[in-house]
Amino acid sequence: MTETTRSGLSRRSLGTALGAGAMALAAPGGARAQTPTTLRWWSPQTAPAQREAYNFQIRTFEEANPGVRVVFEATSDEGYPAQMAAAFASGQVPSVVTHLPHFAVATYWQNGLLEPFNDVIDMIGTSNFYDGANRIYEITQGQYAGTGIGNSAANMMWLRKDLMQRANIAEAPRTWDQLRDACRRMQGGGVFGAPLPYARNSMTSLIFICFVHGAGGNIFSPDLQVTVDSDAFRNALEFYKSMRELCPPGATNYSWGESLTAFVAGATATGIYTGRVLANVAAQNPRIADHVTCARYPTISTNVAPWTFNDFPSVMIPKVAPNIALAKRFAAHLFRADGYIRQLHAAPGHVLPVLKTISAMPQYQENALIQKYRAEVDLMSESAAAGHNLGWESPRHRPNTAAGRIIASHVLAEAVQRYVINNEPMAAVVSTTAQRLEALMRG
Amino acid sequence: MLGVMLIAPCVLIFCAVIVYPLVSAVYLSLFNIFTPTLQGNFVGLQNYAELFAGEEFWRSLLNTLIWTVCTLFLQVVLGVAAALMLHQAIVFRALARSLILFPYFVSTVVAVLVWRWLFNDLYGILNHLMMWSGLLQMPLDWLGSMPNAMVSIVLVGAWKYFPFVVIAILARLQTIPDQLYEAATIDGAGAWSRFTDVTLPQLKDVLMVVVLLRAIWDFKEFDLIYLMTGGGPLIATQTLPLMVYKEAFGLDAMGRATAVAVAMMAVMLVFMVLYLRRMGKEEAR
Repeated sequence: MTETTRSGLSRRSLGTALGAGAMALAAPGGARAQTPTTLRWWSPQTAPAQREAYNFQIRTFEEANPGVRVVFEATSDEGYPAQMAAAFASGQVPSVVTHLPHFAVATYWQNGLLEPFNDVIDMIGTSNFYDGANRIYEITQGQYAGTGIGNSAANMMWLRKDLMQRANIAEAPRTWDQLRDACRRMQGGGVFGAPLPYARNSMTSLIFICFVHGAGGNIFSPDLQVTVDSDAFRNALEFYKSMRELCPPGATNYSWGESLTAFVAGATATGIYTGRVLANVAAQNPRIADHVTCARYPTISTNVAPWTFNDFPSVMIPKVAPNIALAKRFAAHLFRADGYIRQLHAAPGHVLPVLKTISAMPQYQENALIQKYRAEVDLMSESAAAGHNLGWESPRHRPNTAAGRIIASHVLAEAVQRYVINNEPMAAVVSTTAQRLEALMRG
Repeated sequence: MLGVMLIAPCVLIFCAVIVYPLVSAVYLSLFNIFTPTLQGNFVGLQNYAELFAGEEFWRSLLNTLIWTVCTLFLQVVLGVAAALMLHQAIVFRALARSLILFPYFVSTVVAVLVWRWLFNDLYGILNHLMMWSGLLQMPLDWLGSMPNAMVSIVLVGAWKYFPFVVIAILARLQTIPDQLYEAATIDGAGAWSRFTDVTLPQLKDVLMVVVLLRAIWDFKEFDLIYLMTGGGPLIATQTLPLMVYKEAFGLDAMGRATAVAVAMMAVMLVFMVLYLRRMGKEEAR
């Protein structure tokens, strides 16, 4: 009688299996070639609709490349610095990383951690991109650190037309005074004026930078000297503080998700976010869908032009990633029209196309939300095209490769918290912030 | 020779799992290391000098002590009270003993999500109930302002970890001989006297171990605090483990992070030695 193990395998078959396994391990490389090659794809953009689009792109790539398996792994807007640092330190890096802000790419490139992206851009087709779309990735002359997978207008001001009408507000606020007045008039009955973040996180830093620019200032001069000891910086802090009473009490803990939800759920009369608002309102609160619109975020006065925060969602490949050639093919595959349009349609207006060939396609234009909110999507596209961020504050600025470290340090968010929550003196806050920024720039 | 050979595996394992990481940590703390590349240069004691000269380390240490002492105190009080209650012949005792362990078994991420939802300013049940009952006019900012943020994490920490105290104390309670209580009752001791003169002395040994273990675990608690407040507002709830994380992965300064970790270990060691010596003296008495 054959003795059987608990799993139902006979000793003989178990021995055969172990022997086969040992032989497979001992076999030369050619015999092991059947093992699928695995690519790891990281992204912080992981909404269910986006995941569906990613799955389509993965499936089509795997079908076109037998023996290749692509695994999607989620990271997050607040968590990616730690995950990327750990990945680089351990050498266990993903093959392709998408949707990180451009300034993160700049930081990694500066430290020699990324593979040049010229090949991928050539595969996608240089002439298919909007003019100058890749300029910010050319940190080293003639070499691209990555490319944009989209554009974003992250500080659009979202408005509820019904609440504006009820408060007798005829037009979208253009200046800070008008915004504050509008928020005061719309606040009440369980609805707050705005969901500005006051937390110690990257959103607070990034949004506050928008306010400094909205006051006509910069964080750094074009040659990257710290310039926060300025009237613009002080005015931005002052205005941010004055808005605190118009934001929900828990805004001291808000990041992107909470801020978005506050507006979408109808808890605030205005919002500050990308076009993801459109898809979320349609899915989660269709009751207000006909009353939602957006405008460029107000500035201190009509003399100061609006400044749009575009984090230039990126694609990059770590230098030590295995199967670099395959990873590059996959990165280029992400821009193939059928998959790319699905990705863009997953959150219409949230990530805007960087390829002019895609924008012109009827398949892209035919989305119901894009058609319903045509004016808003056009405004976001126009704003994002002229957008900047801390890594590239204006066309006159040099690329700031320390921007990622500055955001991760929360220095700017802490300036907001010191002044708004702790009521520390303005002079002390400005002085400390300047010193800490200078220290970070020194590395 | 045989003796050396017999003890060698034990020494090797000890060196591999204790001595090597410890020496590595101290060694790394003497360098300025960029985390993603692990490249750096020797800076000697500069990391320590900067650490001790800055306010952040001392504030984080103070926060760590406040968090550890407060949450540990609540855990012990709640744990002993719950264990005493569950030691009585109450209805559904078996079910209650199982349910009380729930917070300890539930994942920290899930527990924090639930608590953050309860604390939410717009939709949280806590604010809703307090406003409904007239205690508040406006929602309270539980996690974004002080002292609310520290109070909130201490309460959640106590809720999450007090079942560990319950398990340990309940097990000990069941082994205290009934004769001790009978003798105390005959001597005229009331309920409070029986607790202070019989129960507590009997619980002393197990309480000592529980306090020691929970103090070590609470001192290096990371996930609960990080997920609840992220160390904010500002650094008001930033404990030393959060500072290590920020230095290592936020600022990519692995050397400074390791210096904080080494300092943290030294602080913990000092407290543990003091605690053990005090307990040892009391036992000798």
